[in-house]
Amino acid sequence: MSARDLHGPGAPWGAATPGSKSNTDFKVVGRALRKLDGLSKATGAALYADDLQLPGMLHAKTLRSPHPHARVLRVDASRALALPGVLAVITGASMPIKYGVIPWTPDENALAVDKVRFIGDPVAAVAALDEDTANAALKLIEVEYQVLHAYLDPFEALVRHDPPIHEDRKEGNISKNVRLEFGAVDEALAGADVVVEDDYEFHGTTHAAIEPHCALASCSADGVLTLWSSTQITHYVHRALAKVLELPPHKIRVVQLNLGGAFGGKSDPFSLEFCVAKLALVTGRPVKMLWTREEVFYAHRGRHPMHLHYKSGATRDGKLTGVDAKILIDGGSYSSFGLVTTYYSGQLLTGPYHFPTYRFDSSRVFTNKPPCGPKRGHGSVQPRFAFEVQLDQLAERLALDPIEIRRRNFQGDFTRTVNGQRVTSNGFLQCLDAVERASGWKQRRGKLGRGRGLGVAGSMYISGTNYPVYPNEMPQAGIQLKLDRSGLVTVFTGGNDIGQGSNSMVAYVVAEELGLKLEQIRVVAADTDLCPVDLGAYSSRVTFMVGNAAIDACRKLRAQLVAAVAQKWACDERRVRLIDGLAIDIEDAARSMTSVEVFQLAESKFDTLGATGSYNTPKLGGDYRGGTIGASPAYSFTAHVVECEVDVETGRVSVVRAWIAHDCGRALNPMIVAGQMEGSAYMGLAEALLEHHQLNRFGLHSGPSLLDYRLPTSVDTPELHALIVESIDPEGPYGAKEAGEGPLHPSIPALSNAIHDALGIRLKHLPFTPGKVLAALRQEQALRPARPHAALDEGSR
Amino acid sequence: MTVFSFHINGDRVEVAAPDHWTLLEVLRYRLGLTGTKQGCDKGDCGACTVLVDGRPWLACLTLAKSVEGREITTIEGLMPAHRKSGGAGADPLQDAFDRCGALQCGFCQPGMILSARALLARNPRPTRVEIRHALSGNLCRCTGYTQIFEAVESAVAQACGTTTAARAWEAQRERACEREDTP
Amino acid sequence: MLRLPKFELRSPRTLSEAIQLLEEAGPAAMVIAGGTDLVPNMKHELATPELLVSLAHIEELRGVRREPEGALAIGAMTSLAEVAASELVQRFAPALAQACSLVAGPQLRAMGTLGGNVLLDTRCQWFNQSYFWRQALGFCMKKDGSVCHVVQGGKNCVAAASNDTAPALMTLGARLELEGPEGSRTTAIDDFWVADGIVNKKLGASEILTRIVVPPTPRGHRGAYGKLRDRGSIDFPLLGVAVRLDVDETERVAHADVVVTALAAQPKRVAKVGDTLRGQTLGSPEFESAVLAVAELARKQCRPLPNIPGDADYRREMVPVYVKRTLFAAARGDGPVHHV
Ligand SMILES: Cc1cc2nc3c(=O)[nH]c(=O)nc-3n(C[C@H](O)[C@H](O)[C@H](O)COP(=O)(O)OP(=O)(O)OC[C@H]3O[C@@H](n4cnc5c(N)ncnc54)[C@H](O)[C@@H]3O)c2cc1C
Ligand code: SF4
Ligand code: FES
Ligand code: FES
Repeated sequence: MSARDLHGPGAPWGAATPGSKSNTDFKVVGRALRKLDGLSKATGAALYADDLQLPGMLHAKTLRSPHPHARVLRVDASRALALPGVLAVITGASMPIKYGVIPWTPDENALAVDKVRFIGDPVAAVAALDEDTANAALKLIEVEYQVLHAYLDPFEALVRHDPPIHEDRKEGNISKNVRLEFGAVDEALAGADVVVEDDYEFHGTTHAAIEPHCALASCSADGVLTLWSSTQITHYVHRALAKVLELPPHKIRVVQLNLGGAFGGKSDPFSLEFCVAKLALVTGRPVKMLWTREEVFYAHRGRHPMHLHYKSGATRDGKLTGVDAKILIDGGSYSSFGLVTTYYSGQLLTGPYHFPTYRFDSSRVFTNKPPCGPKRGHGSVQPRFAFEVQLDQLAERLALDPIEIRRRNFQGDFTRTVNGQRVTSNGFLQCLDAVERASGWKQRRGKLGRGRGLGVAGSMYISGTNYPVYPNEMPQAGIQLKLDRSGLVTVFTGGNDIGQGSNSMVAYVVAEELGLKLEQIRVVAADTDLCPVDLGAYSSRVTFMVGNAAIDACRKLRAQLVAAVAQKWACDERRVRLIDGLAIDIEDAARSMTSVEVFQLAESKFDTLGATGSYNTPKLGGDYRGGTIGASPAYSFTAHVVECEVDVETGRVSVVRAWIAHDCGRALNPMIVAGQMEGSAYMGLAEALLEHHQLNRFGLHSGPSLLDYRLPTSVDTPELHALIVESIDPEGPYGAKEAGEGPLHPSIPALSNAIHDALGIRLKHLPFTPGKVLAALRQEQALRPARPHAALDEGSR
Repeated sequence: MTVFSFHINGDRVEVAAPDHWTLLEVLRYRLGLTGTKQGCDKGDCGACTVLVDGRPWLACLTLAKSVEGREITTIEGLMPAHRKSGGAGADPLQDAFDRCGALQCGFCQPGMILSARALLARNPRPTRVEIRHALSGNLCRCTGYTQIFEAVESAVAQACGTTTAARAWEAQRERACEREDTP
Repeated sequence: MLRLPKFELRSPRTLSEAIQLLEEAGPAAMVIAGGTDLVPNMKHELATPELLVSLAHIEELRGVRREPEGALAIGAMTSLAEVAASELVQRFAPALAQACSLVAGPQLRAMGTLGGNVLLDTRCQWFNQSYFWRQALGFCMKKDGSVCHVVQGGKNCVAAASNDTAPALMTLGARLELEGPEGSRTTAIDDFWVADGIVNKKLGASEILTRIVVPPTPRGHRGAYGKLRDRGSIDFPLLGVAVRLDVDETERVAHADVVVTALAAQPKRVAKVGDTLRGQTLGSPEFESAVLAVAELARKQCRPLPNIPGDADYRREMVPVYVKRTLFAAARGDGPVHHV
């Protein structure tokens, strides 16, 4: 049963019609309010994992594999243990149980048991009095390796399986293959008026949150283990710890403090979390491990490199007839979320356009590189890049305006995709309108002179997934509220605020529902001892699911509050409105009481006040194996127009401006939504132009630092214009959907398309380095020595 | 291990620390001033920016003992200094960052705010281009910088009694409301 | 944290004290100025001195002064930000001011010194890495190992001179003033380099760089700096080009010079630049074709190696482009040439 079925009486915003576009009926929702934790962050008071120090705390460090692929024959830590100040050394043998965030593919060990699979794979961990001693101890641990053939090329891993990277896999080095076909694709393509077929390449990129991973564990005398970790999914860490440490879950408490960015890079359970926990158990003292930036690069879980082959057909008037995709995914050394990634690479492409027929064949292979995982726009940013460029190629062939071809293929709202996913609200057309208008598309495209261009792209993304990573019937999101006579509401949520503002979102919802002032609400989050289970910050699920759970809990309480007031006033409950820290009688302006009085009245009448609320998705998804992967209770939609300028002599592409229109359903706080949109576009453009998670010929990360992995600085970031489109989803909290990941997708293909508009070259291999631009320019000149309007272009400069 | 003294947020402190400790380590792990963050520990990110005699400085590359006798300002020092000079609430720049949504994960922000503070100290009315350049040694992974620029501009506007232009999303929402209101 | 190896730090107040400390400790001692090069390198265990002698408290090493005969004398401990902002430097040695303004990012320019920049260690993608990283591939000749990963089978280290100010100072004919146990000496910066990436400079044992002296530039001096890098801030040069054009009253080139850096172990002066440009009037078609000819000379003479990150072929392709653009910028009296 989904939460909205359990909602209490009526909506709190009185007479306003549900689904109203106007935000004026709300007191809290829809306003650009401050965040709960803004000032604590601005003043440096907010605590992050590494800010914690406990009495008697030890420092831990990790010994890592210098080989990309090797058998671990022997680990001898005796010399390290003999070093004064060293308290414990653990190895794979200390924690032999395998784990993995997806329960079907447990293939990781906290420390290598028999093999290492990439340079940087953890082998042993040391706890010592201080970091210097721990580092010195690492150098004293002797490890004997038998070096094995290293797979650095995914094409090789696809066909060669000996030696296997994971011995126990039936399919050799293939991590996952998904082949799904919807409708008769071959016929549809054969019958198309135009067909475009091409190859695209997406390189590896990583999250590079500014806070490096850190974990601190402490074990009480009665055996309760507490882990403070920079994780974005407390619940999965909790489960994994229980499994690997063989402890009952109720003996473990996992707490996430403030998190210095995540973007998917803190969603897996990580080696350091197990290591500090184990070391705390062994030594009986608190143990902290803070990874260096280099170690964060090895832990990776970043965007999968993909080789994508697409073939799309369309009718003469630009209607798609079929899309056929074949994708090779370089997974790196472990599964991580790879099963989901492989599905997402195909499943999430089926909007905002109607595909009459569709097929994808995606294979993820293991290679001896840092493991890939979920990064903002998990699994779907790469295919989106390829397809949106291909759509522009189709438009070019048909001499259609690129925005027009996208409009013509719009799937509509309240519909079903070719792969059986239910789509509810869909504001994609409004997104296209918004970027078209704001960018001056009609007047400017193709008329900016050689070297300057505009490009468009669209996308859709999930607002949470119907598929919790371990199947169960329990709620995906739970909330608990405590009200008391002080006038304070404490909200307990397992949701993880990773900087996206989810704690604030919960507070806004509660304030709206219970008619309170924001200052009357405190949020306690992401502490497994205190908070009900929530599945954490991934898949853009938090606003949708936790928001709905919060509404659910609030409406139960509101019923009590209103009943108590109505009884006191001896009036009909419908006359009582909770608003702005007051209860008012909507028919008698003179009659009101403060929320403190309301709470006390209700507490006297009903006993101690509290409520729980929850959310679970309705049954969704296609009726086939894997049909639930990619199913979401709602989808967000995005369109970008990117304006670029290319220096034809240096090949350097600069993005001048980007217009980002995003349908997030109702924007619960437009300022936070805009921040997500701008941050997404920035990150996408950075992937397109600067960032590259690259390995050298040794299989070693070629520059594991924030110097060599180039994050754009403030002078490298274009002017970003966030244009919010609010389609008001019938099932989202107040109609909200997601805003954290969707807005990244179109930025990359929109830039490629803009470069085409600027210079007539198609960049299909990321990243768009100046060298590639120059090569493409040369190639284009060689192919078309006498471009008909080249002279004209030059003349118009 | 040497004992040395310096001024931190207006207070003179004496610290004992090994010579090979950086200022960042002393601030965070000796003085408990954990507002100064560490993102790379080797000069690449700007998270550890503090002010040394008013200039933005990377604490992770500064040997602790080398600040002997200097005046250090960390993020924790701004609000007390503002209060001391008769202000209320947080430092206006901190407040502007909060007001404008510039704080997402917040991890880059202590360094960012101090770089912005130093900019405003020498140039009270910077242009956006000047703001971009002054903050170009502080990486932010969350915001795309836009709301950070807006925050600095908002603080400047507040100090000068001027107003800032509507942000893209505000302008667009206003337009949307107007359209809805016209029958 | 990325820990520093243990050492002792001393902060003498006078130059002689500093030299004495250095001499007593011998090779185990190193000088630290702003520390922005040395500290990251020490964190990577590329240098493990037992004693660090800080020059931070030696007042006489700071400041920009114009000597009576017109030379600019810049104390080695003057920060890059100060040099970049100095009106004297902007006026008499614009290429240097521009180069300083493009080093790293704002904080590092406040901390880093001109002396430290001149003495910056060479850089290489196989070298500027942690101990663990370097160990994983068996180290290299520059530190702890015996092979080169850039030129496989090579006998010389070709790590790249990456200091932005060096080429600018070379076009300006700068002199370095050094003070050591044997007393003081002066050397032309041109003579300071050696073609060895392991140590590319002739700094004597226990020697301290005290001043960088830029001889007087003529009234018609023009200079500019061009820098290729991926980002508009923070990054080291992928290519650095300093140019000098001295023109007479009729705007005819009397003297010209181009020095390119971030190629190999030392900055490279492009040969035959003076001959090609001399006598041309700025803005004339002949000047423009002479500039193009110089750009072509540079392309032929400069071969960036795959020592630092980035595509070496692309860096090579950019040599003539940046030489050309920087020359034109100098002729116009502006610059720097930089993409933001
Ligand atoms: C992220 C990052 C980006 C950077 N980007 C650039 C860049 O773009 N361009 C660039 O040129 N540099 C760059 N640098 C390097 C550095 O910041 C500058 O080169 C700076 O000028 C070095 O000066 P310093 O005073 O900090 O030198 P230090 O680190 O103190 O010293 C450097 C070396 O010189 C020696 N030394 C210093 N001064 C003296 C002296 N007076 N006498 C004798 N020996 C001395 C030291 O022993 C040491 O070996 C960057 C650094 C970082 C961390
Ligand atoms: S060029 Fe690079 S790899 Fe070769 S020896 Fe020098 S530092 Fe080492
Ligand atoms: S932590 Fe100092 S610059 Fe990154
Ligand atoms: S707010 Fe997260 S890094 Fe800037």
